[in-house]
Amino acid sequence: MPEELMDESLRAVADPTRRAILRLVRDGELPAGEIAMHFPSISRPAVSQHLRVLTDAGLVDVRPQGNRRLYRWRREGLRDAAAFVDELWSDRLARLKAAAEREEWPERGRAARAHERSSKKERRR
Amino acid sequence: MTNSDSTVVEQTVRINARPETVWRYWTDPSRMCDWWGAAAELDPRPGGTCVVEMDHGGVMRGEYVELVPHERIVFSFGWDPTEGAPAIAPCSTLVEITLTPEGDDTILALRHTGLPIGVRDEHHGGWGHFLAILATAAGGAVDD
Repeated sequence: MPEELMDESLRAVADPTRRAILRLVRDGELPAGEIAMHFPSISRPAVSQHLRVLTDAGLVDVRPQGNRRLYRWRREGLRDAAAFVDELWSDRLARLKAAAEREEWPERGRAARAHERSSKKERRR
Repeated sequence: MTNSDSTVVEQTVRINARPETVWRYWTDPSRMCDWWGAAAELDPRPGGTCVVEMDHGGVMRGEYVELVPHERIVFSFGWDPTEGAPAIAPCSTLVEITLTPEGDDTILALRHTGLPIGVRDEHHGGWGHFLAILATAAGGAVDD
């Protein structure tokens, strides 16, 4: 997943109203008007703006039906963002493991390097 | 944000080194830079700075919260709001590291909580893959 999209997903869910919208459309499609009715204290254009942020971040899908727009949860969206953080750590922890093991067993590193040199020599023959 | 809106990332890695050695990779700036970041400013005591600057310029900014030598480190985790950095505010999430000796190895368990990337699913329907990647957040029901 491109980093920018991951970032957009994180930004999109950083807002409580948008998280509430996600929960609303989690189990089925809803038209924008009905979504807006759940947020009486928020103006209609503001709700539309939230829906646009969620759509741009790939967290909801939208399709037109007549003169309405229907929104629904796009499950893959959050999964990608979560997987990104997960991968970030597994990549880093693999590097930590390698560094700590090099420090703990310096002779092993030397042996490995020596082995590498000798096998290179082998290959050259 | 409530617990039910956040996600937990959990990982375990077996390292063929003593906990004392692994510990230093979370508390010593030069060792921190061997695996994470290009520069680090670390003050490993509760309330002390934990800042790691990445190669690409992003800055992870947090604070140490808890340190049990060679056993457990907890620090807060977030990013300075610069372009391209993940949208996680400084100090807004929590990383817990547990080091457990096992023979010649150390089992490192990482638990990253408070990430704003999950909307907890109660039904578990259709979320198999998501749940396989992540453990869901602890805590109460979704506050619909």
